[in-house]
Amino acid sequence: MKDKNLDFFKKQYLDTPIPDELDIVVKKALKDGRDYRMKRNKLIKRTSVAAALVVASVGLLTVGINSSPAFASTLGKVPIVRGIVKVLTFKEYTVNEDRFKADIKVPSIQGLENKELENSLNEKYLEENKKLYKQFMADMESMKEGEGYLGVDSGYVVKTDTDRILSIGRYFDNIMASSSTVFKYDTIDKEKGILITLPSLFKDDSYVEIISENIKNQMRERMKADDGFIYWVDVDEDEEFIEPFDKISENQNFYITEEGKLVISFDKYEVGPGYMGIQEFEIPTEVISDILVGNEYIK
Amino acid sequence: MLSKNDYLEERITEYVVNQKESFYRLAYSYVKNAEDALDIVQESVCKAISSMDSLKNPDYIKTWFYKIVVNTSLDFIRKQRKSVAVGEEVLSSFDFGAVDNYEDFDLQEALDNLPAKYRTIVILRFFEDLKIDEIAEILNENVNTVKTRLYKSLEILRIKLSDCEEVWNEG
Repeated sequence: MKDKNLDFFKKQYLDTPIPDELDIVVKKALKDGRDYRMKRNKLIKRTSVAAALVVASVGLLTVGINSSPAFASTLGKVPIVRGIVKVLTFKEYTVNEDRFKADIKVPSIQGLENKELENSLNEKYLEENKKLYKQFMADMESMKEGEGYLGVDSGYVVKTDTDRILSIGRYFDNIMASSSTVFKYDTIDKEKGILITLPSLFKDDSYVEIISENIKNQMRERMKADDGFIYWVDVDEDEEFIEPFDKISENQNFYITEEGKLVISFDKYEVGPGYMGIQEFEIPTEVISDILVGNEYIK
Repeated sequence: MLSKNDYLEERITEYVVNQKESFYRLAYSYVKNAEDALDIVQESVCKAISSMDSLKNPDYIKTWFYKIVVNTSLDFIRKQRKSVAVGEEVLSSFDFGAVDNYEDFDLQEALDNLPAKYRTIVILRFFEDLKIDEIAEILNENVNTVKTRLYKSLEILRIKLSDCEEVWNEG
């Protein structure tokens, strides 16, 4: 027999108003999830080929490299590469328990002529991932007795790999614990063996304002075009929880595309609500052409 | 021909589309506003599709997905730090006196006032008809803890079920 209070609570609960947007939000999420998975699958294939290449041609570092038998068969199709800058998975940490999952892949750049740069980047990658792993193990230890789920996923994506430019993005995703998705990029001039920073692309620091204005306009356009898009731009002042996007930082995350376009990237929560995830804006070259140092990288 | 992943994705998609309102209500019970609840649903669905490898057996899709929604909600609250702080204090205020004071009992707000880890159990058991062991799995608790909390919740909410089987019924 049901209790009248229970009936009341059930009715109250089931009467939670359902907003019309729910349908759109779910559809968009299904699509985003699919895109994200495809991106990851592509990335796994890529690293595998890169790893296989090194194992086959150079034969060093085999211990740390994760090669998979799955592409032994694809090896035959891989063109012969000489003295080329490559990114491969150097080391992988995994934990796979019921409530604790970690998948941490450390990228390693190989073949740069500037060994100092190569080493310092690789060391940085190893350090940041070691730290992540240590933190994860510590958190796991402290949560063993309690409740909750802990998941860490880190790895990398080669965004651009041309004769000239290598843009590598590392992602750090705390799946269900405390943090969020973070993407960090490094862009390298392979020919000169230098790390390209955002300020180094421009004559002066006016780029901060110019790029920020352009991004704000792009945000407004995207929001106008699609109701599912929300950015924290033109936020009402009484929205006390929201810090509106003002301008990019001097060293905002960026990468350069194969076509030589500058892309500015924001982490989750940085410019919009969580469901928007990582946000990227390609800056039209004509907007910044006057302040670029040259058109070596940005075209 | 459908690959295993395509099949899984289709199953999840179908499930999510059919059950979206349940997930939304559950998310809403944590954050109490539509905008954040939509965020949580969006994030949960996105996570589910992008990490569907973690669903070992498609038959467990229900507990698997509820688990994602619960964890995403808790995660969200922690991150936003704008949820109403409801904790053990509130619960203990029910323990001492409040239960006997009939005038103070506000039916309208009683469920909302329940701490999340108790409220979720009531929601999943009675409003979404999940079994006790499924709830334990979703919340990463053992079955006895879930039962104890459910019993406690019923006391606070002044729910009297003549047939105890209804509470513990696992089928």
